[in-house]
Parts: sequence; structure tokens; C-alpha cells
Amino acid sequence: MNIFMDIVVCIKWVPNTTTVNIDQKTGTLIRSGVPSVINPHDMHALEMALALRDKFGGSVTAVTMAPPSARLGLEHAVGMGCDKAVLVTDMAYAGADTLATSYTLAKAISRLKFDLILVGQETVDSSTAHIGAQLASWLHIPYLYYVVDAKYLGDGKMWVKRMLEDAYEEYELTLPALLAAAMHLTKPRRVKLSHKMRCKEEGVIEVWNNKTLGLEVNCVGLKGSPTIVKKTSFVAEVPRKKIVCQPRDIDQAAEWLISRLVEDGFLKI
Amino acid sequence: MSICSEWDKINPEEYVGVWAYLEVEDGSLSEAGLQMLGVARLLASQKDTYVGAVLIGRGVSSLAREAIYYGADRVYVADDERFEKYYPTLYGEALAYLAKEYKPEALLVAGTMRGREFTPYVANILKTGITADCTSFEVDSAAKDILGVRPTFGAYLIAHIRTLNRRPAIFTARPNVFPTPQKDLAREGEIIPTNPKVVDAVGVKLLGRSRFGRGAAPIEKAKILVSGGKGLGGKEGFTILEEFAKVIGGEVSGSRKAVDAGWITHDRQVGQTGKAVRADLYFAVGISGAVQHLFGIREVRCVVAINKDPDAPIFDNCDYGLVGDYTEIVPALIKAVKKIKESS
Repeated sequence: MNIFMDIVVCIKWVPNTTTVNIDQKTGTLIRSGVPSVINPHDMHALEMALALRDKFGGSVTAVTMAPPSARLGLEHAVGMGCDKAVLVTDMAYAGADTLATSYTLAKAISRLKFDLILVGQETVDSSTAHIGAQLASWLHIPYLYYVVDAKYLGDGKMWVKRMLEDAYEEYELTLPALLAAAMHLTKPRRVKLSHKMRCKEEGVIEVWNNKTLGLEVNCVGLKGSPTIVKKTSFVAEVPRKKIVCQPRDIDQAAEWLISRLVEDGFLKI
Repeated sequence: MSICSEWDKINPEEYVGVWAYLEVEDGSLSEAGLQMLGVARLLASQKDTYVGAVLIGRGVSSLAREAIYYGADRVYVADDERFEKYYPTLYGEALAYLAKEYKPEALLVAGTMRGREFTPYVANILKTGITADCTSFEVDSAAKDILGVRPTFGAYLIAHIRTLNRRPAIFTARPNVFPTPQKDLAREGEIIPTNPKVVDAVGVKLLGRSRFGRGAAPIEKAKILVSGGKGLGGKEGFTILEEFAKVIGGEVSGSRKAVDAGWITHDRQVGQTGKAVRADLYFAVGISGAVQHLFGIREVRCVVAINKDPDAPIFDNCDYGLVGDYTEIVPALIKAVKKIKESS
């Protein structure tokens, strides 16, 4: 098929939450020294986009809205094979909630030619799963979450399979549209050095600020965000009995435990 | 104060009432939606206002009375053949239309997969704040705002989130974190038929739907769960857990690591990226007890941990713990149950 699709993939450069530690004294997150990664869910969106492009032709552009350090994430995306990348960055965009973030991203994406937008299912740091739906709303395009498989049918149409709690659903979508890729779809490809070298070429990674986008300051960053974090606190520990033993006689311990659970009324035998 | 020109000007004072969207599942009200009705009831009593319930679909009118029995004062019903099939844009527009028309101050939607899909669309149409996956709510004593409280940063922290000056404040909440309210056949309420003006879903067409055979009962409804983690060492470890579950009338579930390893399916995953469970009794076998996992078992009444690592965090978060090799302990537990059965 020589018809091709221009695909935009939204990614987020996030602290690796599996290595985060908490300072028990001050009660804050220890972020220093925590390496950042491309949000693992977005890796699946990238893979889906690149696989579609490889099969049907077209282009893949990775987009992120973030502080300048997120350039590393875009370099990784280009290294995986994205044709282009755009870093949307401006102090005016700081403190944005999902409404302001999706607005800014939507305005940036509108400057690109696209048939399909792919996003990850959610992010591992804030886990809202909002941005996909909100982008679709700003851009007035149809969208679906939890996509496990997608094919281009030609004629501006796609076949999409998605998975809900108890069912698979198949859809026909008319492009332009937005899809959120499910996790565990396929293993995301690795970075190739030959691809990554392209980052040095002019125009491969573009940086857009608010001079480029020209957005109203009331619509972006903290000002464009209806929600604020009033405070953060720790997860309160659930009170538990904590009766722990390392039994020498396992059968005896097992009988003790089972009769205890029966007595407590948790087990009916 | 100047606001973004994309936003409609609203007067937050005009917005009153706490709404719950009720998802319909196989012709009845979903458990997760009813749990939202319970939360709405609590918040409405603190705010001294009414509880609204929203029903969207074809033939859903017959469920309106049921919604009143479970706690709604007013039920807004959009019963129309246009809503026979769910599409996120279609349901999103319908719910946004009703919120614009009837102006509730808060809207709660269960964070089922569909709920998480279409609720941000509603919030975006209304240009209001949305807080995802709330695990509790607070009413601010001064401003009387409803705050959503949610885990963030991989459940290491809890964020208390407030929606300023925009209404309704929208929240999704994890299924099974909140209890299902009692049904009270004596409750009375008002049923309000509505007709949301929305365009049909454009550019998206459902071709087919195939249920996957869920051999086992869903874990969120189980009273007893036997859950396996990385410490099982392999898929075959689940065989013994299944046998144990069968003997004590429970179901089998797993940790994220067991799901990632492909030993058990995602629909049986307990934890922050899986499901919250409300079992009476939960066996954590070979599960270290990462914060994300503990998050999913907060509402469990009794946690039993079995792990060969005495320093595993799960032992600080269990009621009973046995340190040792699960391949010896679990068969011993099965034997003990059988012995007690025989002697009784």
C-alpha cells in the first residue's frame, strides 16, 4: 500500500517511579539521582506508531511538553526510529494540569500534519489517563483507549481492536483520530545508533516555545489549570496485627493459622 | 479575573448538588456506579444538598427507581436509541450537556475502563477540573469545596486536589475502594427525563464485541483471594495456589510482577495498576509488598503473608505472616483445612 499516514506520538519524560525513595524525616520525595525514562506506556504507543509507519508508509513525529531536559526523551524516540520530534517548552507552561497541558499540546499538534495521534494509556508518575481524551476534545476528533491492535484499511479508515474488562471490541475509525495504546502490546524496539545520530541534524528535533505557539497566557500553565494540588500527604498505613513467625514445624503452624482464621470468622470450613 | 478565552464564563454559585454517573452493565446498575452513589450521598449530606444520578443508554428508564433505592434524590435519565451503543465522544457529550443544563457542583464517575475513557472528555467540554482515581474525598471547611484525594507518584504520595472556580468539579474513583450503599426500598426521589442535544458519534463505528471467557469469578467480588507474586518463581506456582483457593472457596489473583511475567492475566491483577479488592481474607504468596500492591489491599479485612524473605515489606503490612518456602507452606495449609473439615 502506498498510502501513508502521518502519525504524532505524545510522550512524557518521567522519573522512574520504581526507584523513587522517600525521605522519612522531611517527608518528601528524593528525586535527585532518580533517572528519568520515557513513560513506559508511551513506549508502546511509539512502537505501535513505528510499526504502522513501517507497514503502511508515512512519518512519525514524537511530541512532548516539558522542561528542556526532556530533550533526552525525544532523542531516545528518534533513536527508536521517529522521523522528527518536537519539544514544546516555555516557563509559561509550568504548573499545568491536564486541561492546560492538553490545550498546549493540541495547539502544538495542530501545527503538524497528522492523520493519527497515538498516546500511552497513562503515565506512571501521575496516572490520570486524561490527556488522550482531552486532546481528542480540543482537536474534535474521535478517539478510543485500550487499543491492542490497529490496521490501516486505506481510504482514510482504520480497523482497531481494543480490550475492556471483559471483552474485545473492534471498531472502524475515520481519520484523523486518536488512539491510546494498551500496555504489553509488543515489545518496544531498542534504540539504533544510526537513528540516534540523526538528532544532530538540523530540524530533526525542533524546540517550540510560546513565541512559536503564541498562546494566551490565561490558557496555559498554572493560569490555565482549574485544579491545584492543595497539599500532599503520605499514604496512611492500614493497622494490621503483624503476627509473623518462621515456623520450625510447618504443619503445626498451618493448623494454628487455619484455626485462627476460622475463629476470626474469615474462613468458613 | 480574566480567564482563558476558550472557557465559558460561569458562576460557580449556581452549581449545587452532587451527581453520580451510573454505568449500566448487562441491563443493571454496575456495582462501581452504585459505589459512587454512596460517596455522593456522604458528600451531599456534608454539603446539605441533593444527590443526583445520571443514566444514559437505551431502555435505562427502568433502572431509575433502583437508583433512588440506592440513594439518589433526583435521577436524570437520557433514555434514547441514540445511546444504544457507547462511544466515548457520544456519552461524553451527553453527560457534559446534562451538567451544563442542570449545574451540579460535583460529578463522580466510577473509574472503570469506560469511565476513565469518557470522563476526561466531559471535563474538557466544560473546561473544568478533573481529578482521577480518587480514594477519598474531603469537604474543605472554609471554602466548602469538595477535594479529591488520590495516590500519585506510583502511590508513594497522596495528593489533595481542589478545583478552583470551575464547576462541576469532576472526579473519577477506583471501583471497590468505596462500599456499595444499602438498598432501601422506602426511599423516594424524583425521576427527570432528559433529552441531551448531541450529534451522533462521528468517525467511529463499533463493528463487533466478543466477550472473553472468564473462567473464574472476578477478583473484585471475591471474599477470599489467594494471590501470587514474583516469589512463586514460575507459572506452575499458581497450580498449588489454585488448589488451595478451591479448598477454601476463594479465587486466585496476582501481583503486577506475576502479570508482567505472563503467569496470570491482567484482569486478575491486584494493586495500583490493577484492581483494588475488598476481600475478607487475602493470602499474599511470594509477594514482597511494594507500595503499589499494598494500595490494592487496603480494604482487605485480613492479610496473610507467605514469603521466604523475612525482610519483605509485606510482613509489616499483614495480620498473619509465615516466613518460609511456599511450596511447603501452602500444601501444609491445604492439609490443615482438610484435617479440620474431617474432624468437624
